[in-house]
Amino acid sequence: MDRAAVEAFLYREARLLDDGRFEDWLALFADDGLYWIPALPGQTDCFGAASIVHEDRTVLRMRVRRLGHPRAWSLTPQPRCSHLLGNIDVAPAADGEIEAVASLQVAIYRDGDRTRYDGRQTVRLRPDGGDFEIALKRIDLIDCDGVQCVMPVPI
Amino acid sequence: MPLASNSSAQPAPGAAEIAALVEPTRVHRRAYTDRAIFDLEMERIFGRAWIFVAHASQIPQPNDLVRTRLGLHDVLATRDPEGLVHVVLNRCTHRGTTLCSVERANAASLVCPYHAWTFGLDGTLRSVPHRKSMPASFDMADPRLSLFRAPRVADYRGFIFASLAGDGPALEDFLGDMTDVLDNFIDRAPNGEVTQEGGAFRLEYRGNWKLHHENANDTMHPGFVHESSVNAAREDGRDYAEPVYDEHQAHVQMLSNGFSVREWQSLGLQGLANGHSYMDGFYTKGILSPDRDDPISRGYRDALEAARGREAAAGILAMDRFNNLVWPNLNINAQYQQIRVVQPVAPDRTIVRAMCFRLGGAPEGMFHRAVRFLTNLSSPASMIFADDAEIFEKVQAGLSDGRREWLDQSRGIDEAVGNGRIASAGTSELPIRGQYRAWLDHMTAAP
Repeated sequence: MDRAAVEAFLYREARLLDDGRFEDWLALFADDGLYWIPALPGQTDCFGAASIVHEDRTVLRMRVRRLGHPRAWSLTPQPRCSHLLGNIDVAPAADGEIEAVASLQVAIYRDGDRTRYDGRQTVRLRPDGGDFEIALKRIDLIDCDGVQCVMPVPI
Repeated sequence: MPLASNSSAQPAPGAAEIAALVEPTRVHRRAYTDRAIFDLEMERIFGRAWIFVAHASQIPQPNDLVRTRLGLHDVLATRDPEGLVHVVLNRCTHRGTTLCSVERANAASLVCPYHAWTFGLDGTLRSVPHRKSMPASFDMADPRLSLFRAPRVADYRGFIFASLAGDGPALEDFLGDMTDVLDNFIDRAPNGEVTQEGGAFRLEYRGNWKLHHENANDTMHPGFVHESSVNAAREDGRDYAEPVYDEHQAHVQMLSNGFSVREWQSLGLQGLANGHSYMDGFYTKGILSPDRDDPISRGYRDALEAARGREAAAGILAMDRFNNLVWPNLNINAQYQQIRVVQPVAPDRTIVRAMCFRLGGAPEGMFHRAVRFLTNLSSPASMIFADDAEIFEKVQAGLSDGRREWLDQSRGIDEAVGNGRIASAGTSELPIRGQYRAWLDHMTAAP
């Protein structure tokens, strides 16, 4: 397991989001990949409890298509985003996958306002040729069950 | 006695001044921006009308309590050992400390974290430490030492409302024909019980609380506001003949906002007394439509028919009303087991609390759909509601400029007038005008 390669992948993924390259970001997900932001601390149930986001690739593709639309009002003007990953742990997981856990800070600036998201990011990576694909990207926000404002872009 | 408004010292606007803010076809921007108007709304609307505070399933057992809001007030809805429900202010009468800091609890008493003053779940003071150091005049039975308690609490089949006014219309009179949709909400459960489960969202937007209600039955906005998500769904060419748990529902929810003006116009819109309103459902395709026929829906229909009989079940499932607004703070979508509670925070700040329910006796898949519906439509990351909230904020920002003072609400006014049940074409601004009639009734009533 190449830790440096895993970290490089995580940084590349974060940079695509920072740069608003959402189509390229979506392409990192496996066909059965999931993007999950729970709405409860330590949430284990994605069917019996609501999530801030729980999307497979099909819905995520609709989300990304929407982001490119000129009249997506919560994206006008386009948000600017900065991801910071730290405390990265990399460990082997079941089925030959790799689990990378990191502390995550995301700042979003849009139309005069800044929003901060803080939490823990858990990414399950599946080796794919010399690269990886995302089987799961999960973000546990420290205030996942608190009062939230609109989250305009994937974080 | 109403709780005192807890903000500005400005003199309250008089009845004539308030009445001048609302005309048949327009409303003055002060209704959205003025702190004194907002304070008066908290006193005369949220301080008098029936306000939805909780569902009985959130406090099913004796000594259960749930933390909620009544206007600007942090309150606890409690069930005392005898089963009676109370709504008490979450504030110790000794030094003012917040008593309860969790969302839900089961507790035989409320113990203040500061000096351990202890209250019953009905709000009465039970004990204070070192009683002998209190003066002779200190009377434990003095009502001023009890937690402030909403003078009227009533429930309609488990939907609990509170009023800070000592008298006024009975809850059922206030609800009027909106009891139909509450009945339908409950009747959809094969065993007759609905329970609030599946989590909840609290979404804050920087806009006035009335904007959410005015948007709920407005059918001229979806084609514009939600164009980005309609378009994204349209580009998705998949065949959803076999519903998948998730994609299908998200797809239909986004796609359905793409009706033509003619289609919106053909929907029925109902304005009722007291500011209430609702519109015909418009999720007419797939697993969200009234005649859905996928395996989970069939299993559910079978369960309902077994409990109620075929004919009654068909009647229950046929009711398809969208965004049933119980003004001033509750929005109901019975057919999807959803409610939204609108909580004013400030003239330009509002929190929308959204939650879903389980239908007792229905297949688990129905509950999963309700959870999924909640996520799709009411999450902070919702592809649909995000654009509504953005528009509310743009409206509020624009209204801060006083160079143009009025907002137009004339659409469809030639079709219907009056204050009572009125049917209208789907594109009318009838609901907004009805909300302002109720608003004026409350705001100009004697103090």
